[in-house]
Parts: sequence; C-alpha cells; structure tokens
Amino acid sequence: MDWDEVTRILRLMEENRLVEFEYEDGGRRIRLRRAETHVPIPHAPAAPGPQAAPQSPATPGAGPAGGELVRFRSPLVGTFYRAARPDAEPFVNVGDEVTPDKVLCIIEAMKVMNEVKAEMTGVVREILAKNSQAVEYGEPLFVIEKK
Amino acid sequence: MFSKVLIANRGEIALRIIRACREMGIESVVVYSEADRNAHYLKLADYSVCIGPPPPLQSYLDISRIVSAAEITDVDAIHPGYGFLAENPHFAEVCESCNIRFIGPSPESSRLLGDKVQARELARKLKIPTLPGSEAAARDEKEALEAARRVGYPVMIKAAGGGGGRGMRLAHNDVSLVNNFLAAQAEAGATFRNNALYIEKYIEKARHVEIQILADGYGNVVHLGERDCTVQRRFQKLIEESPSPVVTPSLRKEMGNAAVALARAARYTNAGTCEFLVDDRGKFYFIEMNARLQVEHPVTEMVTGVDLVREQIRIAAGERLSFGQRDVVWNGAALECRINAEDPRNGFKPSPGRIALWIPPGGPGVRLDTHVYSGYTIPPYYDSLIGKLIVHRKSREEALAVMKRALAEFVVEGVPTTIPLHQVVLDHTQFIRGQVDTTFIESYFGK
Repeated sequence: MDWDEVTRILRLMEENRLVEFEYEDGGRRIRLRRAETHVPIPHAPAAPGPQAAPQSPATPGAGPAGGELVRFRSPLVGTFYRAARPDAEPFVNVGDEVTPDKVLCIIEAMKVMNEVKAEMTGVVREILAKNSQAVEYGEPLFVIEKK
Repeated sequence: MFSKVLIANRGEIALRIIRACREMGIESVVVYSEADRNAHYLKLADYSVCIGPPPPLQSYLDISRIVSAAEITDVDAIHPGYGFLAENPHFAEVCESCNIRFIGPSPESSRLLGDKVQARELARKLKIPTLPGSEAAARDEKEALEAARRVGYPVMIKAAGGGGGRGMRLAHNDVSLVNNFLAAQAEAGATFRNNALYIEKYIEKARHVEIQILADGYGNVVHLGERDCTVQRRFQKLIEESPSPVVTPSLRKEMGNAAVALARAARYTNAGTCEFLVDDRGKFYFIEMNARLQVEHPVTEMVTGVDLVREQIRIAAGERLSFGQRDVVWNGAALECRINAEDPRNGFKPSPGRIALWIPPGGPGVRLDTHVYSGYTIPPYYDSLIGKLIVHRKSREEALAVMKRALAEFVVEGVPTTIPLHQVVLDHTQFIRGQVDTTFIESYFGK
C-alpha cells in the first residue's frame, strides 16, 4: 500500500463517515483512525458524530514550510477551553507564534483550571479540539509547526 | 437506578463490571491508561476515557483524573472494583462531594475497617474471637517485643493500614521481631502512608476462611457463607473454594453471625468480606474485614446464585436487598484457580509479555472471567492476574474433576502461568482430601 492509496482510503473514510479502517496483508498491517470531535468514544452503537477533517496518519510529519509538525496532546483528562473566560480572546489562533511559556489552553479537571503551556517554540497550524469539549489524556489538541 | 456508571479499574474486574452494567441496562464508562489502550474489553463498554500514562499513580490511582473523567462523562456512580482506589476512604469522599455515588461502603465505615487495629478492637467489643496480640498499635520495637513475648512466638507483624496479605511479616524470636519490625515500619509508611504496626499470634496449622456479606442502606445484612482461601503463597491466594471442607453448618452459622454483627456495628453497607483463621480444632478468629468486592467473589456467586456485582450496584442506588438470610441457599461446590502470569518454576516471577496463543477451557460447569486473548500483551505495570477459572458442580469431588479437566484443556503460550502449579495441587492427596493449611504451597513447592 502506497501513499496515494492511503490518501484515497482517507477520502473514502470521510465520504462514508468511517472512523476506523484496518487492513492486513502478508504480515503488514495498517490502521487508520480519524479524529473524533468528542470524547468519550461511544462504542456501540456507533453514532456518527460531527465530522473532523481527516488527519495525516503519521505524526510528526513535514510541514509545508519544512518545519516539523507536532501533534500537541492533552496532558490531562478534562474539559478543553481556548480562552480564560467565555468572553475573552482565545489564548492562541491558527498562525500564532508560540514560545515554551505560552499558554495554549486550559484543561478543567475537577473544577481546577490547569493552564497548558506550549513547551516548545513554533507556529500553531491547526486547532483540533473545540472550545468546552471534553478531552482524554493524550488527545491531540493542536498541530504546531516546531521551529 | 443509575443510568451511567464509571468503572475505575482495569482488566478482568473492569470487564466483570461492564458485563453487570450491560445486563442491568446501565451505560458503562471505563477509564484506561495508555498501557491498556488496545485492550479489547474497552470496546465492550459504552464509553472509554484515557486518563493517563501507564504508571498507576498517574492513572488508576489518580483520584483527580478519574473524577475528572467521571465529570466529563456525567456518570451517576463509580465502581472501584478491587485494589487501586477500592478501599480508599478519601476517594469515596471526593466522589460524594462531587455528587457521584461510590459503589461501596461509606468513607466512615471504610476508614474504620481500613485500620486493622480498630477493626480488631471492634471485634473484641462484640465478643468475636480475635487472635491474641497488640491491644493497640505498637509504636516502637519495645512495645512490639512486649506484645510478642506476652502472646508467645511465632507472631505476625502486620500493618494497620495493610490488608489483602500485604505488609505482613513473620517473626520466630526477639531478633527477627526487631529486625522485621523496623523493615515493616518503613514499608508500611511507604506503601500505606500509615506506619502503624500491630502484633498478632501466628497459628501454624490454620485455614483461611472468609465470609461474604451484603448490607443495604436500610439495616438489612445477610451473609452468603464462606470461601476457603487456604491455598496461598506469601499470603496471596491461589485457589478458593466454597463450601470449605472444614466448615460445618453450625460453624458457618457462627462465623456468619459474627460477620453480620461486625458489619452492623461498623454501619457497613454494600458488599464486604470478613476474614478469619480457623485452627485445627475448628476454632475461628477474626483477622480483618475487606471493604470491597473480592477477587474470588465468583465462587460465592456460583454456590448461592447471587450476582454480587449486580447487588452492589442495586444497594448503592438505594435499593433494598431483595432477599433475607433465610432465602440464602448453598448449592453444590465451587472452586476458583487464579491464572497469574507468573512462572511457578522460577520463583513466581511475574511474566508480562505477549500471549501468543490462548485457548480457554469450556464445557459443563466452567466459568472463565478474563480480559485476555491470543495476541493480548500483558503490560508490566499492574498485577499479574490474567484470568480466574471457576468451576461449579453438585459436589466437591465432581468440581475437582471438572477443574482438572478444564486446566488440562487450557492452552496459554507465550508467557508462563500458574496453570501447571494448579495441576500439581489438584493432584495432591492432601488437597483432594481437604487437609491443607496456609503453609501448604510453601512447604510442598518451596518458597
């Protein structure tokens, strides 16, 4: 299976609202999974949730400008907030430059607002989680092009 | 009744609770660490939430992560399973303060019984026999020596905050008492955050017999008879059975009444277990009460027909016990063999790794509670229990025959397990005759 085929499968998955695809052939196994826009993941019956853009199966990968694309994952299970208050400006938007100390978001866990810092220098390329969405530990929140 | 329950555990017990929820029409949410991400049982729950990295302190023991997962999934209750946070009164308190029902006893009962010194004192007040030993926690080796000399060696040094066989040491004389006392104190402080120790007379020829109880929130308490857990290694149970070969109907009634009295006095609710030692003259002594569901609960389920997990959920939801003591009847004999990923030929060394082939036994009288399968990888971070093989037949003799047959059918390739050890025990005359004591495994199979 080559890159074109993977891309084609991803397109088919999106068109048919498939979340997961697994293929095995002669010991080689490929598993594709599209990001879901909500946690927890319902298992059965599979309810098609709001659709997210298909994600590249590999992370990190090469960005358009050549910088390394890093998927920034949630360090906590909780509720994701893009801003300090509902009426405040988001901490970051797509295209913003970030430094290690820059706060990217807040994860609320047990009524504690935990500021999550970028811990790297780069540019926010994608925001994967929606404001006030529940997120799991390890769930991708942002795509950052590392510098 | 609850509409959604979160399971704060992993492995076979998480699956056991998912099954009960499914049967009761309750949605289940199971939390998992990254080490369990690919486990198939997660798919059997309605929802699953990753809460952290593999180390238990950052996942299955992390109260804030679990409660946060409970909040985002909006559950009514949390079932803690056994181990991890099951007997942590603080966890139960946090659940309560977040308006989430904890499926287990109240924090007060759990705190009282979690302190083994207090539990012993409560038993003594109720005139339930306890082993001679410390009246209060031994603060230093001097007090321990005093207690040990008073009751006579050998003695057990136990952690007040321990239980389930952890934090126990045997001493045969003053020297080993002092040495073991200091080591046990450090260990208890690190493991249970409570370094209080106490001394208990050690009985050499004893059987470990425990009584299962159920208590609702309306003062109804019943006992479901005993489980004999004498076949142990280093205080860890390997085989459990019910009825016990040494418990007569009158002894069952006496021990059952003692367990019920203790549960009432501790204002206990939900499922719990009173552990006793029974000596070679048939006298019993209370050792501790476990404020949780036990690993070996299926043995009781098979002989009584009571689904303990279902009852736990019903009780926590505020329902009354649907039966009284007179309705409890025991049918036949049940045995459980714990299938651990441990190498009995190599000092019971834990053997995590990939299970290349798993062919489970089946047929009449066989129940297998397990979360594993061919291709499953046993993570190295948690305990080594990978399955519980339970059999139930009309008589002990038939149950033993079914267990032997089932063990012979069982194929596990890729990791060593305790199956060969069970086969040796099942063939041993003393075990067949029901004449073992708690030293059986160590004296016949070495430490």
